Amino acid sequence: MKRSYVIKRVLYALFIFVVVLTLNFFIPRLGVGDPAERYYPPKGAMSDIEYEIIKQFTREQYGFDVSTFQQYIRYVQGLFRFDLGTSLRSGSPKVVELIGKRLPWTLVLSVTTLLISLVIGLSFGTLAAWKRGRWQDSVLLNASTISVALPGFFIALMMSFYLGFELELFPAYTNPNMVADFDWSKEAIMVVLNNAALPIMSMALGGIVGYSQSTRNSVIAVTNEDFVITARAKGLSETTVLYKHVLRNALLPLTTSIGMSVSGLIGGAIIIEQVFNWQGMGTLFLEANSTNDYPLMMGIMLFLSAFAILANLVTELFYVVLDPRVTVGEKR
Amino acid sequence: MTGRNVLLQVAQRGGSFLGFVRKLWQHPKGRVGLIMAGFLVLVAVLAPVLAPYDPYDVTQRAAKGLRPSWAHPLGTTITTGQDILSMLIYGARVSLMIGIGTGIALAALGALLGVMAGYMGGLVDSLIMRIVDILLVIPTLPLIIVLTNFLGRSYFVIVLVFVLFGWTGLARVIRSLVLVLKNSNYVKAAELAGASRWHIMTKHILPGTSHLIIMNTTLTCAGIMVAEAGLSFLGLGDPTAISWGKMLAEAQSGGALLFGAWWWIIAPGLGIFLSVFAFMRIGLVMEEVFNPRMKASSSIHKLFKHLNNKYLDEVFQSMDDEAACGPPERLDEIDASQARGLP
Amino acid sequence: MTEAMLNLRNLKVAFPCPAGMIRAVEGIDLSVKRGECVALVGESGCGKSVTALAVMRLLRTPPSISRVDKLELDGVDLTDWTDRQMRDLRGKDMAMIFQDAMTALNPVMTVGRQIEEVYQRHTRMARREARRETIRALELVGVPEARSRVKSYAHELSGGLRQRVLIALAFACLPKLIIADEPTTALDVTIQAQVLDLLKAMQKEHGVSTLLITHDLSVVANMADTVYVMYSGKIVERAAARDVFQKPRHPYTQGLMASVPRLSDRRQMFVQIPDTVPHPMHKPTGCYFHPRCSRAADECRRRMPRLETLESHREVRCWFPLSNPQEAGS
Repeated sequence: MKRSYVIKRVLYALFIFVVVLTLNFFIPRLGVGDPAERYYPPKGAMSDIEYEIIKQFTREQYGFDVSTFQQYIRYVQGLFRFDLGTSLRSGSPKVVELIGKRLPWTLVLSVTTLLISLVIGLSFGTLAAWKRGRWQDSVLLNASTISVALPGFFIALMMSFYLGFELELFPAYTNPNMVADFDWSKEAIMVVLNNAALPIMSMALGGIVGYSQSTRNSVIAVTNEDFVITARAKGLSETTVLYKHVLRNALLPLTTSIGMSVSGLIGGAIIIEQVFNWQGMGTLFLEANSTNDYPLMMGIMLFLSAFAILANLVTELFYVVLDPRVTVGEKR
Repeated sequence: MTGRNVLLQVAQRGGSFLGFVRKLWQHPKGRVGLIMAGFLVLVAVLAPVLAPYDPYDVTQRAAKGLRPSWAHPLGTTITTGQDILSMLIYGARVSLMIGIGTGIALAALGALLGVMAGYMGGLVDSLIMRIVDILLVIPTLPLIIVLTNFLGRSYFVIVLVFVLFGWTGLARVIRSLVLVLKNSNYVKAAELAGASRWHIMTKHILPGTSHLIIMNTTLTCAGIMVAEAGLSFLGLGDPTAISWGKMLAEAQSGGALLFGAWWWIIAPGLGIFLSVFAFMRIGLVMEEVFNPRMKASSSIHKLFKHLNNKYLDEVFQSMDDEAACGPPERLDEIDASQARGLP
Repeated sequence: MTEAMLNLRNLKVAFPCPAGMIRAVEGIDLSVKRGECVALVGESGCGKSVTALAVMRLLRTPPSISRVDKLELDGVDLTDWTDRQMRDLRGKDMAMIFQDAMTALNPVMTVGRQIEEVYQRHTRMARREARRETIRALELVGVPEARSRVKSYAHELSGGLRQRVLIALAFACLPKLIIADEPTTALDVTIQAQVLDLLKAMQKEHGVSTLLITHDLSVVANMADTVYVMYSGKIVERAAARDVFQKPRHPYTQGLMASVPRLSDRRQMFVQIPDTVPHPMHKPTGCYFHPRCSRAADECRRRMPRLETLESHREVRCWFPLSNPQEAGS
């Protein structure tokens, strides 16, 4: 029963992936007569004949010399070899390589942010729910009304301004040599931590408040359930009731939102990366956008979508393990 | 089970739009939201009257990087010498127009698809829900960037992309409510009476979801305003328009941080904050009005802080037979069993 | 036999609301003798369940505020006990069976684990021993294949089995007092009888005193020795079960009896009490029942009657108690 559920979900995820990769293939081909035009380099000072040759070369290099259907087949074949295409940058680097270089730096930010938000958010949300109506709860309530209305990048700008420029606690901009100089030495790691402090803080603020708020609501909802009274009627202490009965149930619905944060781990930091000029996936994507590097843009898009599909799938399967009721829902 | 009941409750709290606004007005927090939103709309509409300078007019520029003064209450920009207060006022136009316009268009599409999926079921439902699943995994911001790159930078494109890709959340919520409504007696009665599907959807089901739609739209407006600011900050908005997000981007690239021109950053940030806050407030108050359970629990906790011991003693004393029944012989009435409200 | 297992004096519970004070329980006295089954009867909203929770000291502040003059269990005065002391008692000396087993059981914890918790909390049993006891307890309440059922979750069991699990959970430590709050209301009629028989058998076998909260008079007839009839937060009649059924003295009790369909009844119609229980925030003056009472006189509108002893073992709160069923029936 459980196995059939797993297979079903995996197949569905694959189906979604096929649809997404097809969309990804066709989006750059929409709205223009000849999609290859988007791949031509600027003409500059070249003569017409020279430019024709360059154009022809580009068409061949990016596979526009065959029919659309054949292009699609090639594209899918490439994916099997983890080939997301070739960037228009000088030296024609592979999109996968570019992603590979930038991905770890984004993950440094986003994974740390997620962990911090989760740990603080879950504990503070639980505390606020348990101490409902006390000051912990009102702090959370006020913090959430204010922080939801403040865009993350504005918080980032303010932090960059005050903590970076005014107080000089942390670098206001990312050290441009950070990536190049990184060699796993203690000093290099300290540089990274120092530079990552402000981006992480500005992203974690919203995350903490968000997770606290949803944890609080979820815990309060569960506290009103009958089985909590049963647990108390057994003589269990309040802490046992909280940990063994309330939290387990309250955190279940949060798995979904955690899964959503995970799926946004890579693509969610675009604006923050831009504010601090952090050399991650977000800035890579913006660079691709400003240089009209379509293969790179679409490659990153597909990569982000695939990651989101995978994250959703894992969340769903994880949920089955956590919630014994799910399989029954499938059966009925 | 309980979720279902709450949904039904939400659906049944029908009423006119005006009655709805009145309810919001009666709620202290709702009133704050309404006043703020009204003020912002007024500012946006009257921008040419209110703004001391026309920030679009190249001839009306002052010296660069002026600190706040009487002539320029929020100073001028370091790069162009534009009056920041005027930019702030004109920026409200972009933010509100995009926020409200997108919110309404999104609500229409989301409600339509949600009602169709929920009521028609079958193939229509699974088709719509599959699309929802697909749109959910495509990262929104990168997609918007790609499409503005292909289609050109204009607010029309931004709104279009927001609407085409943002309806999923509302559609899902509406769908689950419609699934409940579908089985309610009044819809069944309409079906038995031979009403057409279209008639039932528009005349019976859609009104039942209207409150959920309005609430969601308000929250969406707020979300769109944040998103618009982000896009403009990345330089993806209309390059000719003055918007708060773009002001922030210019402030950052123009060296506001470096030269300590805090007013250049605070002003647009405040604009974004106020507008998002106002719409958020209205949306959250609506949620509270429709879902009284949450509200009740929090207000009871507040109530307990202000409970008066003497009053409590009185209440408990009035429950005693001595108080409620009076002494056995005397016949004078002690009207203590009558419940009283709290002072 | 004469000593009281539970002795409750003057329990009052109120729920403050923004709109006013909800007066849930207005000073009730209750006693359950050793081995006795006492039924607390009344319509929904009369304060029965709140009373049950108050006896277990499970009402929380907020939302409720309660006062009690005396709460005694087996001669021990619990009135001023701390929460910590009460926790040691709950589940061991005093246990509760809830109405809806589906919601009363934790959905993501196996039912076995939930019973084991009681043993581990109140005895020095190790996990394995607790598991063995749990299986035994489940077998005792007639759960088939108890050895595999311990690993089930609440949703995997039928309604009847779930209620049996709740009973096993309540009887785990053989408490002195069991409080059963509508133990069969959520069940199908056929299952109701089985569960009721089980409850009765368990009670008689272990000599456990029981406080049965119900609105179902057939359950009362089946189980109770003494009946307290509650109306709008007050006790309106107390009598031996047989007396209540044969000659109710309070018009409300009589109304309750009359609304139960009987085979022997020739009238072929349900007799209902008109209207509903008064809102706990806006109770009428005088006798709370007078707006619904066919016998109400001026006196009833003016003053609340006292709970007066009419005969031995019998108390009624009414200005004009019924003298015999024939007169009242008309």
